[in-house]
Amino acid sequence: MRVPYPARARPKTGYVAVVHGQTWPATATTQSSVLASDWLLFTLVGLAVALLVWGLILFAIVRWRRSPTDGDDAYPPQFRNNNALEIAWTAVPLILVVGLFVYTYRAEANVEALLPKPDVTIAVNGYRWGWTFAYEGGRTISGAAQKPPEMVIPLGATTRIVLTSSDVNHAFWVPDFWFKRDAIPGRTTSFDLRPSKTGTFLGRCAEFCGLDHALMNFSVRVVTPGEYARWRRGPS
Amino acid sequence: MSAAAVAAPPRNDLLGWITTTDHKRIGILYLTTSLGYFFVAGALALVIRTQLAHPNATVVSAHAFAQLFTLHGTAMIFLFVAPFALGLANFLIPLQIGAPDMAFPRLNALSYWMFLFGGLVIFAGAATNEGAAAAGWTSYAPLATIKISTGLGQDLWIVGVFLVSVATIMTSINFITTVFVYRAPGMTMWRIPIFTWEMVATSLLVFMAFPALAADLLLLFVDRHLGGHAFDPAHGGNAILWQHLFWFFGHPEVYVMILPYFGVISEIIPVFSRKPIFGYTGLVISAFAIAGLSMGVWAHHMFTTGAVNNPFFSFVSFLIAVPTGVKFFNWIATMWRGSISFQTPMLFSLGFLMNFLLGGITGVMVASPPIDFQAQDSYFVVAHMHYVLGGGSLFAIFAALFFWWPKMFGVKLHERLGTWCFWLLFVGFNVTFFPMHLLGIDGMPRRVFTYASEGQLPALNLIATLGSYVMLAGVLVFCWNVVVSTLKREPVGADPWRANSLEWWTTSPPPEHNFDTLPPIRSERPVFDAHHPDVAARTPR
Repeated sequence: MRVPYPARARPKTGYVAVVHGQTWPATATTQSSVLASDWLLFTLVGLAVALLVWGLILFAIVRWRRSPTDGDDAYPPQFRNNNALEIAWTAVPLILVVGLFVYTYRAEANVEALLPKPDVTIAVNGYRWGWTFAYEGGRTISGAAQKPPEMVIPLGATTRIVLTSSDVNHAFWVPDFWFKRDAIPGRTTSFDLRPSKTGTFLGRCAEFCGLDHALMNFSVRVVTPGEYARWRRGPS
Repeated sequence: MSAAAVAAPPRNDLLGWITTTDHKRIGILYLTTSLGYFFVAGALALVIRTQLAHPNATVVSAHAFAQLFTLHGTAMIFLFVAPFALGLANFLIPLQIGAPDMAFPRLNALSYWMFLFGGLVIFAGAATNEGAAAAGWTSYAPLATIKISTGLGQDLWIVGVFLVSVATIMTSINFITTVFVYRAPGMTMWRIPIFTWEMVATSLLVFMAFPALAADLLLLFVDRHLGGHAFDPAHGGNAILWQHLFWFFGHPEVYVMILPYFGVISEIIPVFSRKPIFGYTGLVISAFAIAGLSMGVWAHHMFTTGAVNNPFFSFVSFLIAVPTGVKFFNWIATMWRGSISFQTPMLFSLGFLMNFLLGGITGVMVASPPIDFQAQDSYFVVAHMHYVLGGGSLFAIFAALFFWWPKMFGVKLHERLGTWCFWLLFVGFNVTFFPMHLLGIDGMPRRVFTYASEGQLPALNLIATLGSYVMLAGVLVFCWNVVVSTLKREPVGADPWRANSLEWWTTSPPPEHNFDTLPPIRSERPVFDAHHPDVAARTPR
């Protein structure tokens, strides 16, 4: 592997410390509660299936292991079909995945539903390697790798994010919101955030976008509506 | 072409191997070359894990790191897991159907050499001024366009992957023709061994999916050098076009990398359970169901783009769990009431079942868009795909090596060292990749060269790195095993495992023309029927 081109000064620390992140994520929006319960359902069903199948495998290899006393030419019963069983293990998983799909479909529709009139609209632009948050009729916040920008949004209200990119693909990801959306040049895409917890939440770029992809962070600070109104007027 | 047309014995020198059109030699060349690429790609992975062992580490630079994970992914996928299956199939398909060679032996040789040099071209990028390709194995446009990825490494990547993809398409045509036209008398379609069936399904997938990759690569090359603007929205292009074409290839590619290994498992489990494969017809139908469905799921890699119909792609992805489940239950039913012994090929097959199950379950999870919104492009997805391709395919690859090694080289690999190799890899694999599920949920994106020294990230990353060193020990034990077994040279007979399909009828290794005689073919296990007529007599048809 060759030396980096162009030779770059290495950052002293990769990340600027943030209040939240890197531990089990909070569910900090009303949508994220729906998303996290989808996770919970699939994890439980998956765990049940895994325990059943692992159990069958382990049972079979313990119960029917070949013992040294078995004659060299001893062969077990040579059965090879069981139609009823085969139909059952096709039909039951089919019913299971159709059920999971119905749940998933409803959860996604719920999370992606856009409110006709959001309270706050922010145009978000991703670029190598930073973010610009342009509040409709208000402030514009911008920042890159070593000085990540902070987005401030009000608790309980609906914030519309209108997302795009001005160079390559990025992705706007806040793990505590259990949600990300790709920022793609030439396209805009919208989603709503309804924060249910105050605090500062780490956000990051999730789509590999070149050298400093790992440092393309931001944070989202959820504040009370009163605080938000003060913040919106700008630095005093 | 015919078995009678054997004149001089094959040259056993370097020129003999370079000029060979014998499917067995080409198979062994494929296997050796792909294992060589595996060792390189694995070494790159160890550097990646070393960099990520601690937060803010400076083992490699950000740019070197991007090249590392790009070459690691590219080599593992395009130069190891898929071509290893092609090598195995090259060696096995004519033997399993009782044919003297492939339908197009010279095309076969051309495929191999294009694969070898395609890989070298990709790696040659590391010797250029701006280094090797660094846009990831998925090489998304616009990141991979000339404005951003200015280096020659990216062009070499395009050319190399193009060569490999064309070689793979040619091989798929060769396999399909061979199986349909060159079967021995009595080898009806419903008596073809499951491995060969899985390779038919795989070849059809390659034939349908790989042209999309080749087209995508050409578009990118034209975009970079001839002003194509295919992916540039400022000039009427579409930044998302790359992803559609890439994943139209890329998801079937996942099954190109797993169906052959379903075949491997389906050959090994019956032998070490001393029973016929359970649900032969179900296994064949499920292979084609998986292949068919996998052509309609590509945009589940694009759930977070907001540009595709998520519910459609989600539903079709869920459906793949059904035929995959059928296979699992068939494998378990094959072991059920059997007489199971635990030689190394069986150990690795069981490891495959245990690991791949988890990869399959997390696969159903990420097929649910609400889950994917968190998991996409995070370490959760890294864990998922490594459980499929590492815990799945890689374990089946070792199972295949231990199982068919005696047929290829006339000697068995050492059993005790094989057991060590298995346990080191099994433990190392799970210690490396299980924590990555948690890293992803915690918010660690994939393809980052550094991370914060906060929360659970440092501990989980360190565990993963330690696990990767245990895997290295397992691979070294395998290499040592090859050396020891080759030096000791304890010859084995034609059928050391009491196995089923025709390759075990001929000598180990087989002569150039494969067979002097063939047994009567009355089931999918003709060799077993011939060697154990009393057991065959009480086997239902």
